[in-house]
Amino acid sequence: MKIDRRSFLGGAAAAALGGAGIYELVDQLSGGSPVRSAAAVGLPSEQHLLDLQTTHSEGVPVIVPPLHSEILTATVHDVDLRKAQSELEDVLRGLESKYEPLTPAGLGVTVGWGIPYFARVRGAAQRHLPFDRRARKPVLLPTRRFPSDPRDTILEHNDVAFLLRSDARSHIDDAEARLRALDFLHVTSIRRGFAGGGFAGKTSLPKKMAIAAGVPGADLIPDTSELFLGFTSTQKAGLGPRLIANHETLGYVDLRTGYFHGGTHMHLSHISEDLEAWYLNFDFSERVLTAFAPGQKAKMNQQTVPQGPKDVHDEAQLQHSFGKTGRFGHSASIQPTSRLQRNHVGPDGTVYPKGTAIPQRADFNTLDNPFFFSANPARDKYTKDPAAGVHFVVFNPTGDDFERNRLAMDGRLPGGKTLPVKQRSRAQGFNSVLTTTHRQNYLVPPRRHRSFPLAEL
Amino acid sequence: MRAMVVAAVAAISLVVLAPSAGANARVCPHAWSTGWQKLANRVDAPVYCPTWMPNPLDAQIGGQWTDIYSIAKDRSYLVSFLEHGDLGSGDVHVNFRGYPGRRTVPKCPAPVGEGSVPCFSNPVGKLRANGIDATVYQVNQGADQWHILLAWHYRGSLYAVSEHVIPPYRFSTQVKRNLTLLLKSLVLVKPSR
Repeated sequence: MKIDRRSFLGGAAAAALGGAGIYELVDQLSGGSPVRSAAAVGLPSEQHLLDLQTTHSEGVPVIVPPLHSEILTATVHDVDLRKAQSELEDVLRGLESKYEPLTPAGLGVTVGWGIPYFARVRGAAQRHLPFDRRARKPVLLPTRRFPSDPRDTILEHNDVAFLLRSDARSHIDDAEARLRALDFLHVTSIRRGFAGGGFAGKTSLPKKMAIAAGVPGADLIPDTSELFLGFTSTQKAGLGPRLIANHETLGYVDLRTGYFHGGTHMHLSHISEDLEAWYLNFDFSERVLTAFAPGQKAKMNQQTVPQGPKDVHDEAQLQHSFGKTGRFGHSASIQPTSRLQRNHVGPDGTVYPKGTAIPQRADFNTLDNPFFFSANPARDKYTKDPAAGVHFVVFNPTGDDFERNRLAMDGRLPGGKTLPVKQRSRAQGFNSVLTTTHRQNYLVPPRRHRSFPLAEL
Repeated sequence: MRAMVVAAVAAISLVVLAPSAGANARVCPHAWSTGWQKLANRVDAPVYCPTWMPNPLDAQIGGQWTDIYSIAKDRSYLVSFLEHGDLGSGDVHVNFRGYPGRRTVPKCPAPVGEGSVPCFSNPVGKLRANGIDATVYQVNQGADQWHILLAWHYRGSLYAVSEHVIPPYRFSTQVKRNLTLLLKSLVLVKPSR
């Protein structure tokens, strides 16, 4: 079924869509799933890893993200946690046996747990939860607002979040149905989205979806753009390698009893994107310096701008550039915290060179406003009208590591210096076109403890 | 919707009345011509009078939709028409500019820090109509911020017309359609003295 914006807005396409709403269009507009490698053997300890293939965009190695992503958040009723632990684990194992769990050709499931959940197992949590030695704080920190966040950014208090990733919408639908059938879960939100396409010169999925939904600024998105904002976000050098976001890899964390060895920290937020402001107020050269750094070289309309270890900024370069121009770029502001400042050898002997990215992002574009479903639509300011945004999902070794990156995005550098710019001004990277609506931190246990961690103790 | 219907009807009318008209095949509408003639005389250079405007605007200088009428010492001018829809209908905002004797894109204060940037930037294509070869600029400054803008040269001078991307013309494609109609509708008004 070919769908253009006129027919979509006219209701013809909408009428043809089922429960997944506009996201069914991903299957129709993507022209099929990427070719994925054969199933991997054995399951790693990490829940958050997915085997994603690499392709090239404008000569730069980039990761091919899953076409579909979905997040369910939930609270847990007052139930027998050990019984619930067993039931949820049965569901997760059932999904693993039905769908290859390590590739988007199957289904990736990642379960993260929030502070409200760990308050229910307080005694065990006090003994086992990992501690951030570098920050001298717990790995799982209370969710906070950042300087550039609006005052009304909602800090959420979910017990659990399920991240579902696949190239097949039906796999996610099946997982969602099985999770919703668990009577001890009260689903608080469902968040859907998409990414990718366009690497082979075709019109990308975000562009097609934005046009189909008729969101403001959709017609201004470059045709082959991987994400709404026009630059490739999944270049390999910009994403942390396989185990780097584990608690234990960089040595930041005291794992105490070792219960959470193989786990990681996950931050989840929803961010609205003002595409019109981005494309009508920033010309290409200003978009480049805003996304990357003042002085960043790029060919006209280049989308994949190399950000390898040799291209990254350290804090001194960032401050020098800011002193000359009065502004900083998004990538350059984060790199002093998001990239290794020196070579590091992991506990398994893996060498991580200076400049290697630490965070592993799993963000995806969305037309949710702000969610596909909300159990509390008044609080969440839910509307059915589609809007451009991103469900930002990122894995870091600790909550503090995430906060360092996010504060740097606002010009608060890890050494304590602040780059003096007005919050949300266009001198402050992307911030003037982004609005964060919701945030929450989660701990992602290793696979063996993914279901109601600590409940058995 | 009413605006789009009117726009469509106007477009058809133009095609019917002046299928391949040059700039002088039509005349500036009588009710609007006085103001545009006065402008041409004051800047001592030809100016472009539209014969079509997006609904509900007209192009009567000094009329109910006039928002800005500004002539600088260097004879450059800005004539702006605005309907501000306080009741939720949105804004319709069209700017006409001329820079007699100037061929280059002027500079505007940089949005961040000191220095300047081109007032019109991010060219995204060309529009050719009515004997005019216009460049389409997507990022513009000052009164043309958040507008799509067409700029072209005529006899050593730079001219521009722009429209705001805002409901009821929500998409740049809608605005480009309007600007195409505007371009087709322009007639030159020369100084009379």
